[in-house]
This record gives sequence, structure tokens and C-alpha cells, in this order.
Amino acid sequence: MSGRRNTICAAAIIVVGFAAAGYVAARECGAGVFSNQVSGAYRLSEWSPYVSGAMLGVVVTVSMAAFGRRLSGSGAYQELAGPLGRALFPSSVYWTQVIRPTEHWNSVVLLGAIAGASIAALLGGRFRIRWLPDSQWADAFGPTIGKRWLIAFIGAALTALGAGIAGGCTASLAVSGGAALSPGAFAFMAGMFTAGIPTAWLIYRNHSR
Amino acid sequence: MSIIAALGIGFCFGWLLQKTGLARYDRVVNVFRFRDFAVLKLLLTALVVGAIGVQASLALGLTHSVPVPATFFAGNFIGGLFFGAGMALSGFCPGTIAAGIGEGRLDYLIPGSLGLVAGALAFGTLYRRLFPILARSVYAGATISQWCGVDPWLIVVLLAEFAAIIGYVVERRPPRQG
Repeated sequence: MSGRRNTICAAAIIVVGFAAAGYVAARECGAGVFSNQVSGAYRLSEWSPYVSGAMLGVVVTVSMAAFGRRLSGSGAYQELAGPLGRALFPSSVYWTQVIRPTEHWNSVVLLGAIAGASIAALLGGRFRIRWLPDSQWADAFGPTIGKRWLIAFIGAALTALGAGIAGGCTASLAVSGGAALSPGAFAFMAGMFTAGIPTAWLIYRNHSR
Repeated sequence: MSIIAALGIGFCFGWLLQKTGLARYDRVVNVFRFRDFAVLKLLLTALVVGAIGVQASLALGLTHSVPVPATFFAGNFIGGLFFGAGMALSGFCPGTIAAGIGEGRLDYLIPGSLGLVAGALAFGTLYRRLFPILARSVYAGATISQWCGVDPWLIVVLLAEFAAIIGYVVERRPPRQG
């Protein structure tokens, strides 16, 4: 199939899917069948995870089957780290051949994701510039911005290192890999919960909420 | 054309993560505390629908192959350990960080993005030493169905059943309070 046809077909699949998902999301919130439920769904602040999950499955299918790419979050940051990696280690096999300088797909996906989330948040009334997460963070760690920013940095670095070792992240390994029936996707999810559960327990062991 | 495609796929991805509340710290962390299963529900539903979609695309001849990530069990699992610890600490993963940035969260935009780039750099630096070790546990085949020597649709059905059971269990179990 040609690239243009793939894109048009993919666009059609996504438009129809989103209309259907919006309809289901609106019905779940009790909007009437003959009201403007579908347009209303896009202004809802929250969708059911099953509706979003089904739609995400469609997006993953389109990405994998029509464009031959796994849906990825971590890939974009590997691409973004590329110029720095090549500047620091010009002879590195990793930064010249594994992360290829000509590869930008994931970075463009990341830009699209930021745009999509912004519009979803604006329509749902959830967009606000904020320095800290919502109340649960402050209950556990206190309201200091510096502490949150330090832990966000460390946590992010751990996830990126983990994504490198594992060969993908939640989207590119667990979901896309799982959808392609890769055994590694399930090993990754097992690791994710094996470490995530005790980490969360250590943080919250003295908290009632 | 490929830029439009990538933007469109990203747009849907970010939209769905934001609409499901995954741009929030507590939503992501609480899956590890068994108090909010939205992450798990989204993940499993996407996985099953994606598996059906991928197999259908292959069966209908819409595509000849899909990119299957390499399986090297020790690497996948150990990487998952780092990843899970980082996720429970920070409350995001590289995908939901984009959703958080879109929602206006500066802790996602600045230290989060810098941390991800730093982690990617760290892995790139360690790659030459780590790769030979990780490659030892590589699995030569690509998929579970090849591993078991069965039709991929049977694995899809099995996955759907497991997902349905997990969904049933987490829906029946009221979220823990206190």
C-alpha cells in the first residue's frame, strides 16, 4: 500500500473510532441519545479507561500496521538525547547506529501528544500551569517544589534507563509489544509491577491515604 | 505525509492519556497501591484491542509484518524493574509525561523531560557494556505464538480472557480506603 493511502485510511479509522468512543463516553455519563452527546464527550473532563483503552488499541494498530512503527513515549527522548550523545561520544555505536540521526518519527509523535493533551485538557477544563502535582504528593512529600522537581528528575532518569535496558516503555513495549504478542512485553510488565509495588509501599507505608 | 501521520497518532495518544487522567501523579502511583486501577484498565484494554487489530491486519493482508520488539527476558524484566521504580517515584512514564506537559505541568516539562534525556544518555553510555550481557537471554523467535507453536488467534483469545478476569477482579474489589 502506498504511504498516502495508508495515511488516508488511518485518518478515517481514527475519526470513526473517536466518534464512536465519544458517543460511548457520553452515554456512560448519562447524556441523552438525541442531545449533542458526541460533541459533549469531547468536553467531558474524564473518559472511562475502557473507552480510552479501546481507542488506544486502535491507534496502536494503525501505528503498527499502517506505518510499521510501535507507539512510543521513550523513543522520542532517545532521539532528543541523540545530538548530545553524538557530541559527547562521537564514535559510539549506540548514538550513531542504534539511535540514528535521521530518525525523528517518535519526536513528532511526542509533539502531537503534547498538542492532543493540551486540547483535551483545554476542552475538559483541566488546563492549568502548575508547579506541583495535586494533593496526594504534598501529603506524602510536603509542598516543597525543589523536592518534587528533584524526585521527578530521578524518577524520569530511572524510567528512561529502564526503557533503554528493556527495549521500550509502557507504550512501545507493554502495549505495542503485547499487541504484537511479544513475550518480552509480559516480562517487562512483570518487572514494572515487581518494582513499582514495593517502591510505592515504601513511600506510603506511614500514610493512611 | 509521514509528519502528518506521526502528528496525528501522537495527537490521539496524548488526547487519550489526558482524558483518562493519566497526566496525574496520584492516578499513576495508585495503581501500585491497588487504589486506582485506571492505568491497568487502559493498558489491558489497549493491549487486547491492539492484539486483535494487529492480527486482523495481518490476516486481511493489510500489512505483511508488524514491528515486534525483541525479547531478551533478563533485559525486559530488569529494565522493567528500573522503569517501575521510576514510575512509582515520579508518577509518570515517558508517554504520560507528554500528557502532563499538555495539561500545563511544569514538573513534567522541566525536571521530567531533563531526567528522561539524562536517563537515555546514561543508557547510551552503558550500552556497549550492557548489551552483550542482555543479549545472552535473547529469545530467537518473535512472538508467543511462535514460542508455543500455536495459531496467534488462540493467544489473542487467551490474552482477552486474562484481561477480562483481571478487569472483573479489579471492578469487584472496592478501592481501599484508609
